[in-house]
Amino acid sequence: MKPFSIINAGVGGQGVVRMSNILGEACALTGKEVRSGELHGLSQRSGSIVIHQRIGDGAVSPLIPFGEADVIVALEPMEALRYLYFLKPGGLVITNTELTHPPGESEDLVNGRIERYISYEEVIGTIKEEAEVVEIDALEIANEAGNPLTVNVVMVGALAASEGFPLDRDAVVEAMTSTVPPKAVDVNLKAFELGSEAFKSKS
Amino acid sequence: MAFKDVIEKEEKDAYLLTNEAVVRAALESDVKVVSFYPGSPQTEVLDTFEKVLPQFDDLRMEIATNEKVALETVAGASFVGMRSLTSMKSVGTNVASDSLYSLAYTGVKGGCVVLIADDPYCHSSQSEQDGRWFGYTAYLPMLEPSDPQEMADMVRLSFELSEKYRTMVLIRTTTRVNHQSGIVRLGPMERTPFERISWKENRHSFRTVGSAARAAKAELLEKMDRLKAELGRSDLNRTEHFNGKELTQVDGTDGLPKVGVISSGVCYRYALESLMDLEQEAAVLKLGVLNPLPEELIAEFISGLDKVIVVEELFPYIENTVTMIAKDTNPSIEIVGKRSGHFSEMLEYNVPIVIKVIADAVGKEPPFDHMAHFERMTEKASILPPRLPVFCAGCPHRATFTSFRRAVGGQDEVFYANDIGCYSMACLEPVNWSDSMIAMGASMGIAAGVQYVAKEKVIAMMGDSTTFHAGLTGIANAVHNDDDITLFIMDNSVTAMTGQQSNPAAPEVAGHTPGKGIDIEGMLRGLGVEKIVNIDSYDIGKNIKLIREAVDHEGVSAIISRQECALYHFRNYRRAGGKHVPFFVDKEKCDRMYNCVKDFMCPAISIDPEDGKARIAPEICVGCGVCSKLCGKQAIISTATLKGGENRAYIEVSDYEELVRATEVDE
Repeated sequence: MKPFSIINAGVGGQGVVRMSNILGEACALTGKEVRSGELHGLSQRSGSIVIHQRIGDGAVSPLIPFGEADVIVALEPMEALRYLYFLKPGGLVITNTELTHPPGESEDLVNGRIERYISYEEVIGTIKEEAEVVEIDALEIANEAGNPLTVNVVMVGALAASEGFPLDRDAVVEAMTSTVPPKAVDVNLKAFELGSEAFKSKS
Repeated sequence: MAFKDVIEKEEKDAYLLTNEAVVRAALESDVKVVSFYPGSPQTEVLDTFEKVLPQFDDLRMEIATNEKVALETVAGASFVGMRSLTSMKSVGTNVASDSLYSLAYTGVKGGCVVLIADDPYCHSSQSEQDGRWFGYTAYLPMLEPSDPQEMADMVRLSFELSEKYRTMVLIRTTTRVNHQSGIVRLGPMERTPFERISWKENRHSFRTVGSAARAAKAELLEKMDRLKAELGRSDLNRTEHFNGKELTQVDGTDGLPKVGVISSGVCYRYALESLMDLEQEAAVLKLGVLNPLPEELIAEFISGLDKVIVVEELFPYIENTVTMIAKDTNPSIEIVGKRSGHFSEMLEYNVPIVIKVIADAVGKEPPFDHMAHFERMTEKASILPPRLPVFCAGCPHRATFTSFRRAVGGQDEVFYANDIGCYSMACLEPVNWSDSMIAMGASMGIAAGVQYVAKEKVIAMMGDSTTFHAGLTGIANAVHNDDDITLFIMDNSVTAMTGQQSNPAAPEVAGHTPGKGIDIEGMLRGLGVEKIVNIDSYDIGKNIKLIREAVDHEGVSAIISRQECALYHFRNYRRAGGKHVPFFVDKEKCDRMYNCVKDFMCPAISIDPEDGKARIAPEICVGCGVCSKLCGKQAIISTATLKGGENRAYIEVSDYEELVRATEVDE
């Protein structure tokens, strides 16, 4: 029995930890087995962040073996490609469409070590060679929901609409709303619903 | 939410990080005194205790100057009779170990539990130290959990064992256990009131030297024998049968297969998943006790096997004991491990590494070639720019390094002894410089040796927290010996790297309650540092000259570069009602000199692909204004000017309030 394995990826400060915590809480609410592996510390300084999450029976190792993740959900497209080695062949990548260029790339650019920034097309094109991809303009959707900081909730909404997602939608919603102040509940709910809708319209 | 679950009254299932499970189980065990120095991968133990502290008037907590003081503090509380706990990262245990070895001799009274968190792969440490030897060489019982639930169970049990045997109990983890989350069954939260205990009525000497030490050692050996007898056959060490599909715990070894696996900690999880993927039948011995190792149980387990695979990271700690026991009980057994060349003593493991060894040992092919897939995909990802950690937007260290490098005129001119903290990132781009970086507070001692031998001037650098942790002895040494060293103290008010905990220079203590902040300048004067220069980290225009002044001084000089950690400062700024006043690039003036990009690497600044000019992301910029001082064309301007405000940095709440009063800026 293999668990459902999710790679949560992004850049420090984007809310990757909260994304995985919502899923973990939802497991606790519904009595599902879950095991996550993450790193704290240096990676918070605008660095690359990856959190492994395994849901259901057979969640033995906290780390997903290379090539065995069912889905990568990425708050930044370069981070989806960086951790593509965890995805099973032909697996699903759900990614935000906005690139965040690392400061080192700008440094290389002005010092003439590279000619231009990497483009979104190059990144997404490379991912598409290996995976099924659903692109979500999460910032625009988060703004539509009423708060640009709900980009991570938009992506959870998209993930929850994907095929084979092992958690009950209501449990995910409950986990999400129980961790925000009452006045933020509506915005979060909207971001979640819009994320789900965006996924359905694009997949 | 974890915080809520750590203090939850209801006994239910909760999703917890292992470090949070430590806190939950310790609170359930009525722990009364805790003390810590932060350090990855165990910092969240401290952070979680600090978060819940206001909810418990029956708990005392300190954020200690270092791990040794933290250990002594919890031992002292235990001497009088209360339950106590500390936790430290692998290398922190080196600092604490002087007292640790003595405390094994003296024993304790109230349950005293010590976590040691190793970091194979050096994710955030300077060496891949194996903390299991502390238990072994100090004669202290040591347990190892593999996940959050086991951690909770082991913490509760450790308090009981500690009191029963009057010994500290060590719990050893690795990064992948500390930073693993999973479901934990919350136990009953039954706390007792905090009531002082009379020492007069409980007097007992905890001393060890000479004849007292020899008597204590004899007692210690006897204690370990009793512990071996009790723990060896306990449920902490499980014999299991994996039949290729399912795992069952068994009693004894009758009917077990001829291939066995011995493992502990997170490696047990990698080994078990590997067996599942291979559908390989095997006998499994899961060790929860690392010291004393259950030798009888191991002997019994391997006696009927043809082959045993030992899965453990770092040293062949378990494997060496297995090898020794096999000589007597089963000399012909094949031992697959590090000595056979199958496993490395380096790095952390995972399923792909472990399954390959197990498959090889049993003559099977893994169902999937993880490494080939990894290589093919990382090749695809090689088009990506790396995303390494950098100083945060507004970080005062970025500004200090800008002045420092200009002041000393380059890497060939001085020897730069770096130390441990956020400023350690000087060894990465764009500074890319650290002539040495050894251990907490080591820069002063290293500098002392270098200044005797090198022709160049020596500069040591420490943060405020590192100075208190282990730097003071080095400073006293240098002053006393009249060494020629310039010491940079990067005073950002908090222990920034680990999440901005308070340190002795801060005006607050654990739980963010008021405390006495030590004046660093006064302290250096008291230690006899002759030349002290204070700089405002952001004021790069003035600082080059001031730094040169200190560096030119013969003898011990100090530069205190002061500005609060940006994460800490601007969090408080926002809480007090301040809003960021970012800077922007005036495209008319920017002539693509890139002084704001080169050697600066601020996460808020990038290049606009449209015109090749710099641009500042307003949602990231905190408005420190340092980049504006670097621009030769004065093209970087405060957004305050757009509303009629002055062109300057607004970083104090009072500045911001002034701006709001004077202009049209929306509140």
